[in-house]
Amino acid sequence: MIARDRNWLLIFVVCVALAILYPFIADGYQLTVIRDALIFGLFAASLDFFWGRTGILCFGHAAFFGIGGYIMALVTLNDAIPFASLLGLAGAVAGAAFVAAIIGYFLFFGGIRGSYFTIVTLAMGVICQQAAVSWSSVTGGDSGLIGIPPIEFDVAGLPVDLSQDLPSYIFVSAIVAVAVLALWSISRGRWGTVLTAIQDNEVRAAALGHNAPLRLLVTFVLSAAIAGLAGALYVCMAGLVAPDLSGLLLSTEVIVWVAVGGRGTLLGPVLGAIFIQRAQQTISSFNPSLWPLLLGCVFVVIVFVLPDGILSIYARLKSLFKGRRRAQ
Amino acid sequence: MPPKACSPACANASPARPDAMDFVVTTLLNALTLISILMLVGLGLAISFGLMNVTNLAHGEFVTVGAFAVYFVQSMGGSFWLGLAAAPIAGAVVGCILEFAIIRHLYSRPVSTVLATWGVSLILQQGLELTFGLGAKPVTPPIEGTLDLVFTVYPAYRLILIAIAALTLLGVVLLISRTSFGLDIRTVIQNREMAEGVGINTRRTYAIAFTFGAAIAGLAGGLVAPLAIVLPQMGVNYLANAFFVVIVGGVGSIGGLVAGSVFVGGLTSVLNYQISPSLAQAIVLLAAIVAVRLRPNGLFNGASR
Repeated sequence: MIARDRNWLLIFVVCVALAILYPFIADGYQLTVIRDALIFGLFAASLDFFWGRTGILCFGHAAFFGIGGYIMALVTLNDAIPFASLLGLAGAVAGAAFVAAIIGYFLFFGGIRGSYFTIVTLAMGVICQQAAVSWSSVTGGDSGLIGIPPIEFDVAGLPVDLSQDLPSYIFVSAIVAVAVLALWSISRGRWGTVLTAIQDNEVRAAALGHNAPLRLLVTFVLSAAIAGLAGALYVCMAGLVAPDLSGLLLSTEVIVWVAVGGRGTLLGPVLGAIFIQRAQQTISSFNPSLWPLLLGCVFVVIVFVLPDGILSIYARLKSLFKGRRRAQ
Repeated sequence: MPPKACSPACANASPARPDAMDFVVTTLLNALTLISILMLVGLGLAISFGLMNVTNLAHGEFVTVGAFAVYFVQSMGGSFWLGLAAAPIAGAVVGCILEFAIIRHLYSRPVSTVLATWGVSLILQQGLELTFGLGAKPVTPPIEGTLDLVFTVYPAYRLILIAIAALTLLGVVLLISRTSFGLDIRTVIQNREMAEGVGINTRRTYAIAFTFGAAIAGLAGGLVAPLAIVLPQMGVNYLANAFFVVIVGGVGSIGGLVAGSVFVGGLTSVLNYQISPSLAQAIVLLAAIVAVRLRPNGLFNGASR
């Protein structure tokens, strides 16, 4: 257990070191590419925090990403609101958490688990996208909202302006690193242990005095809040928001990132998001309709060949070599 | 129909009554159309999700495949009825392949089933798009005219659709309650180990039941094709609604299926008159969530918790 924690921290430190060194070798465009991928990595980590620890799959997580994005866009595009960037970020987090709390309350306290939860969240994602398309007076309809300003605020009188590539890269990397570390320390501590107990046997955990529905609800709300934060960050960096951000395809992709990176590792999903997005950009530039087809194949392959994600290849190879050595 | 230009004083006079009646009957028939389709799509889902515990996210694609089968037959010069005969066959073929290639290996891994069937759903959607090209596909109904029903005038094809759906449902009820295969299915559902113990090939029964559900969904797709926008992505809307039918209605009985369809379909069509379709969908979703919270075992089996 302790060795595993040490390994995780080691990989985390290596990743942070790489993130710090990257600006020295990369140009502005490459920085923005990694920056956007990191935001999706944060989104993937938020899903992994819930799915990895509770074993319950949320199939509409992009709804929270989209809610965060739309709230951020609406707040920053309104000139009357002071401190728009900070208020927007806070509103995005609060809005996503609020929706998750309402839906989660009915589902978890209603005894909805497993596949039922997956289906309801899937429908939630579909409806969020439809609402974003049809409520065009607020959301801009199909084309979304454009011209969202970059984040800017004052820290103790010092203005922070994230319209440039390097500052925005540093800002996003710092947030992702802090968030992933925080989620990890929550999920490895007592909270995560209780969640594991609930996942293994909810009745038994409840008999030991744990309020299982409440634990699940708080975990879900926290996960949605981080997803909303990721959505808000993305919208400011991209400068636009569109219904796709809450759509089913993004909900699907984030599941693939988590599944490929390794469920329950928090770091794996971030890496999975970065690598798969690189692959997606390469393939989509070749033929845009090929990507969903490949995505479908990835789902099937993962289920049958790599149920524990890419990182499990290393563990498998290790056990393979160990087995050989023992045999000699 | 005379314009409603009269003063409030004459609002209760005779012309208003047929209008109100017309509205009620039209709404009722629209609801009945939607309920029929949902019932057919939900039937297959009730078998796989409700009874076999398989969350098949590719179920919506059976509907899409059925609709495309009708389109394909029509575009080759065949009649609508020929296409409608091909639709359940197409659904069954896809369902059978899916069961053999993927689902039967994952009965004990529910989350993996969700991921794999969703992958298959994406593959089927993109495959259809690559084969038939972008854009909505036109499907013409076999009968264009309307039928005079005393209170209202209603498209004849929709009435045929309702009749076919009702007959199909009746056929399924008879199949399950009166034939030896139906007895096998009921046995396997009640207790799989015991069914194996008395010599029923449960794997084969599952496969046939799954294929059968896919065929019915394909038929639903064929029936709805002239009314809907036929797109490779059309399945997901039916998927979500059909899951709600099964969840709200509760599993294990045709009565639950009917109750769930009436709840989801009826609410959707009534709301569609008042507000935008997306908002109507959102309200139906919320109502379904609340209904599940209050009656976890389904509307129909509400008392037995």
